[in-house]
Amino acid sequence: MKRKKKLLTFPSIIVLTVFAILPLIIMLVYSFQSDSGAVGATLENYTNFFLKSVYLKLTYRTIINSLAVTIISLIISYPLAYFMAKKFKGLKNIVMILILIPFFTNQLVRVYSWLIFLQDGGVLNSFLQSVGVVEGSLGILFTQGAVVIGLVHAFFPYMVITIYLALERVDNAVLEASSSLGASKIRTFFQVVLPLSMPGVVTGIMIVFVPCLGTFVEPRILGGVNGTVIGTVIEDQFFEIYGWNFGAAIAFVLFAMVIISMAGLSRIGRRYDNE
Amino acid sequence: MRKYFADHLIPTLYALIALAFLYTPIIVLMVMGFNESRYNTLPFSFSLKWYSALAQNEVLIHAAVNSFILALITALICVVLATMFVLGMKTLSRSMEGLFRSLIMMPMSIPWLILALSMLLLIRFIDMDKNMFFVVAGHVVISLPYAMLSLQARIQALDPALEEMSASLGASSLNTFRRITMPALAPAIVAGGFLAFMISFDNFAISYFLIPAGTSTLPIEIQSSIKFGFTPEINAISTVIIGVSLLCLAIVGLIMGSSIENMIGGKKK
Repeated sequence: MKRKKKLLTFPSIIVLTVFAILPLIIMLVYSFQSDSGAVGATLENYTNFFLKSVYLKLTYRTIINSLAVTIISLIISYPLAYFMAKKFKGLKNIVMILILIPFFTNQLVRVYSWLIFLQDGGVLNSFLQSVGVVEGSLGILFTQGAVVIGLVHAFFPYMVITIYLALERVDNAVLEASSSLGASKIRTFFQVVLPLSMPGVVTGIMIVFVPCLGTFVEPRILGGVNGTVIGTVIEDQFFEIYGWNFGAAIAFVLFAMVIISMAGLSRIGRRYDNE
Repeated sequence: MRKYFADHLIPTLYALIALAFLYTPIIVLMVMGFNESRYNTLPFSFSLKWYSALAQNEVLIHAAVNSFILALITALICVVLATMFVLGMKTLSRSMEGLFRSLIMMPMSIPWLILALSMLLLIRFIDMDKNMFFVVAGHVVISLPYAMLSLQARIQALDPALEEMSASLGASSLNTFRRITMPALAPAIVAGGFLAFMISFDNFAISYFLIPAGTSTLPIEIQSSIKFGFTPEINAISTVIIGVSLLCLAIVGLIMGSSIENMIGGKKK
């Protein structure tokens, strides 16, 4: 009976092995093949990547963009989550539902909505013109700034949720104890609340930073020619240039960046969990 | 007075600003779908012409139907796989269970771009043409973690004593499953299926890389219209999608009540 039940877990594992693990291994193999048709393993794709300043610059830009998105999301999310967990009472659930609803709208649709909102001559432009802040065209769309705005919009709600869940678990009695022992509100926050909510913050950073590294649709749509990042380079290798092996190598570099940041972040997260 | 500021006014204002940031572009998009202007620009003059254009746009409608069928198949497969997994999970050793679970959750933390093109390379490696089988497989891989999250939270909350009781009262294991376990899991199955459906329905990256030529899904059509000169028909169909999603969300929310909450709070245990 127990053996039979164990078998129930196998279909999922087989699906994951065949359609996720195996493809990643094949991708690794391809990344050591030459696009020029030469036979045998070669490091040429990787040396190409790391020796050309274009690609290093794009890697740098991808990381900086993702960091910017993460930091801005954190600035928006932490206070909001804090207010929801500690200040709002009945309002809390309504705000939570309002934050969750956009998850159920298509991601491309949301990107598109920023496109029409930010475009020159678009709604924001007309509004700012009529108020007199801006003369002429806005010039935000097709810049890195537009990409960052779109990505923050797409990802910050996840962070609100993870931080909120962490703050919700912080017992109010602990806060009262801290203040009755004479700590100021600010001191209570930095020495009690913030450390206790760190696991949620770290999960939030993970949930925003890591997917940002791999985006290619948003940079393309909102950034135009200025939006090139690693993701768009990989896409081009597969759809425009047909340098599949080189594309596989870049994808593996991206994969390595993802693994490293995940490992680093979960290490930090574990430190706070132990306390 | 100061307390009022710190406890009510500032938090409320802050939440309003954050929500405005979240909703403004979406609302602009919806409103512009009812605007005469082809370029989504002001001034506003009410018109339903983009909706009537949409009704005649067979490419978009066909793509939407494709997306719907794909998402439905994906959700069904995910729900079956996830239910089987959580039922068998308890018989695994602890380390095995941890390993299997992180394997299933893995696609949540790898950019879909990487998963999509590694599957594309798999197809090339075995020398096959792109076909719908791999599209479904890719969608299942990325949607399964979400279905699993929902079911895991539920099964952990389920009291094992119930099943034991049923067995000791003489019910066969099939009967116990049918009368006890299944009804207890049902809300989580609905929620998990719904999540998997949404993930698949929205997915662009996997479909984009794996779909055979001549077929398309709604996100692919939306992307190509954005790329090659968009029209407010996209606004119209987006508004329809948002409306339908909210309706589904409300229905699922009503059926499920607290179990979505359980799921979000489920990590606590």
